[in-house]
Amino acid sequence: MITGPQAPHVAVEGFDGPLDLLLELVEEKRIDILTVRLGDLADEYLARVRALDALPAAEVAEFLALASRLVLLKARSLLPSLAPDIPEEEGESEEDLRARIIEYATTRERAAALGDKLRTGSRAFHREGGAALSDLPPRGGDSGALAAAWAKVLALAARQHEEDLVAPGERYSVEQRTGEIEALVALHDTLTFGTLLGDRPTLGFAIVTFIALLDLYRRLVIEIAQDELFGEITITRKTARMTAVDVPAPEPA
Amino acid sequence: MTRSANAIAIEAILFVAEKPVSRAELAKIAGASPRAIEAALIELEAHYEETGLRLQHEGDDWQIVTAPETARFVAAYLGADRLRVSSASLETLAVIAYRQPATRAEVEAIRGVNCDQTIYTLMSRRLIEERGRRETPGRPIEYGTTWEFLECFGLTSLEGLPQVITPEGQVRLPELDRPEATSRRSREGRERAPG
Repeated sequence: MITGPQAPHVAVEGFDGPLDLLLELVEEKRIDILTVRLGDLADEYLARVRALDALPAAEVAEFLALASRLVLLKARSLLPSLAPDIPEEEGESEEDLRARIIEYATTRERAAALGDKLRTGSRAFHREGGAALSDLPPRGGDSGALAAAWAKVLALAARQHEEDLVAPGERYSVEQRTGEIEALVALHDTLTFGTLLGDRPTLGFAIVTFIALLDLYRRLVIEIAQDELFGEITITRKTARMTAVDVPAPEPA
Repeated sequence: MTRSANAIAIEAILFVAEKPVSRAELAKIAGASPRAIEAALIELEAHYEETGLRLQHEGDDWQIVTAPETARFVAAYLGADRLRVSSASLETLAVIAYRQPATRAEVEAIRGVNCDQTIYTLMSRRLIEERGRRETPGRPIEYGTTWEFLECFGLTSLEGLPQVITPEGQVRLPELDRPEATSRRSREGRERAPG
C-alpha cells in the first residue's frame, strides 16, 4: 500500500496536532465534536497554507478529506436526524448496493432487448403513415408559448447579471450571523425565517442564516417551529437568560 | 370463420379512425355493452393474427396498425427512415417504459447519471411524454411512453414489453404502476389530420 501524505497539522482551542489524530479522537468520542470550532480550524490552516510559497497539493487534499469528515460528524451531532440508520461507513448497506446493481443490470438488459427490437425494424404504422421519425418539437407548444418562454429566459439572464453586479464575493460568517439573530430575538421575541432572509437573499446568506439558527437552537437560545412542509419557520426566544451584548446591528440582506 | 356483427362494426370504425378510439366510445357507437365490445376486440385481435394488420391498445384505447413483419414494405412505401436511438437514451427509455409513470429522479437513481439530455431527446422523438406531476414534495414531472413508442418498437401493448432475465436468473416483468394512467393524454395528443 502506498502511504499517503502526512496529515496536516492544525491548531485550535483544545487541540494542537495532526488532523487525522483529531478525527480519530472525535470518532472515538474522546473529544466532543461540538467543542471543536471547525471554522477556526479551517481559517488557521488556510492562513498557514497561504503563507507557503507553493501549494502543498497532496496535503491540502488530505486536509479536505479529513475536514469534510469532521464537518459531517459535526452536522450529525447538531442534527441527530442526519445520522444514518444503518451502521455502514458510507450510509449504503451491502444489501442496498446489491439491489441497486441488480436494478441497473436489469435496466441494461431491458435497454438491450428494446435495442434489438428496434434493430430488426419490425415496427408498426398507423393509418396516418406512421409516427414522425425525425426530431420534432414536443407536443403542446405554439408560438405564443415559445415567445413567453424566451421572455422568461431573457428575464432570468437579466436577473443573473444583476446579481453578479450587486454582490461580488459577499461573505458571511456564521458567528456574526448568530450574534445578529440573537440580538433580534432579544428585541422581538418572535421572528420568522422569511424576515431573517429579507427580500432577495443570496444562497450563501440563506445557508449561513439557517446554520446560525441551528446553532442557536442547539444552545437552547431559541425554539423553532414549522407547521407544515415548506411552510414558514417561526423562531421564538426560549429563555430570558441572554441579553444582546456587543452585537453589531443587523446588516440589510 | 364468420365474425360477429360487433367485431365487423368495430373493424370498420377503427379503419376510418385517425386516432385511437376508447372502448367506451366503441360501445356507445355500436350500441353494445363494454363487455360485448371487449369480446369483439379479442375476436378481431385473433382474426388479425393471420393478416398484415394488428390491433394495438394502450390502456383502454384501441387502433388498427400494420403488422411488424410488414414494416419493411410499409416503410419503403412511406419512405420512412429507420429510427436510431443511442444506448444511453435506450437505458432511460427502458426505465420509463417498464416503470411508468416514472420521474427523472427515478431514472437517474437507477442509471446513476444525469438524464436531462436523454429525456429531452426521447421527448423530441415523441417516444415519451409528460403525464402530469407526482403529488410528492417538489411535484416532479412524471413521464410515460407514447403511441409512437408502441409503434416504433412493434408492440401491440405495454404488456408486450420484452421480459428479461435478471442476473439472478429470474424473469422480470414490467413494474407498471398504474397501467390505466397510460391512455388519456396520448389520445389527446394526437391531432386529427386536416380535412
